[in-house]
Amino acid sequence: MTTTEKVLAGIQNSLPGQLIGKANHMVIAVLQLVHVFGILLLLTSLILMSLRLLGLALTEHSLPSLAREPGRLLWLGLGLAVGSGVLIFISGPAHYYYNKAFDVKMILLLSAVIVHVLGFRRLAQRQAVRPIPARIVVTISLILWFSVGIAGRAIGFV
Amino acid sequence: MLSIHELAQALQDSKFGDTIAESRYLYPIFEGTHLLSLSLSVGLIFLTDLRLIGVFWRHVPVTAVLHQLRPFILSGFAVLFISGGLVFCSEAATIMASPLWTLKMVLVALGGLNALYFEFVIAKRPEVVENHPVLPRSVKYAGFASLTIWTLVIMCGRLLAYVPRAGS
Repeated sequence: MTTTEKVLAGIQNSLPGQLIGKANHMVIAVLQLVHVFGILLLLTSLILMSLRLLGLALTEHSLPSLAREPGRLLWLGLGLAVGSGVLIFISGPAHYYYNKAFDVKMILLLSAVIVHVLGFRRLAQRQAVRPIPARIVVTISLILWFSVGIAGRAIGFV
Repeated sequence: MLSIHELAQALQDSKFGDTIAESRYLYPIFEGTHLLSLSLSVGLIFLTDLRLIGVFWRHVPVTAVLHQLRPFILSGFAVLFISGGLVFCSEAATIMASPLWTLKMVLVALGGLNALYFEFVIAKRPEVVENHPVLPRSVKYAGFASLTIWTLVIMCGRLLAYVPRAGS
């Protein structure tokens, strides 16, 4: 057994791993539901802020006043998605660890969070944004977050 | 006369339905599009509902939220329905056999009726049109109804994924 396999088996055999793994399918189904609603909350909040940043909606209201609440909802959505995601992972670590789409998803997720913290979030706090940089950051952000979702769907198919 | 079940079976077994079901890429693409387009359609509806209930964007007039988000919500629903229809074609008979599917369709119809009633009756009331600080209670109720109905629709949809797929 390699170290990786030992770690994965360790996670699966740990108390939380045992509890989730042995629980009936309803527990996994509930975790999957929380995962979907977390992703939905995150993506919707992102879309709403993007529409304002691109000047496509509600331009008569200031950007920071509009971005504050969806900004928080985005983090709430991310928290729900990551929290439920970790528990789903614990239920079958080897299944996900050796899945190519899962690797891609994690890399995309990390990139999306970095771009959000360093770019998107800062942009949304400004009173005024220049259209070109706003368009670039919003486009990159939307592509990254939606790619996380696509890679997530792909886990079940590869 | 063909029964609904026979029609669904014929659709599932048709060249079109079978191509989607058997394709390595088509089924995942349509299913993924169906899931992710929720963020533009139902997701923005959820945020609108929160505004109607009065817990989100209180400083933004309800009419501004309704009118300015409408084109995006409607395009989101167009993508949602088309991708959902394509997924359905590939597994019509299998999926219709599940009571969850019937429940989902009933709920979608209810969600649609609730939206129409809100749009053509509640939203036409002078307090809403003129953005009064205190809105009629029916506005809040419509928001709660919509939030509940669409949450249940998504739950049914996600749980339908556990119905075994045709051919797998």
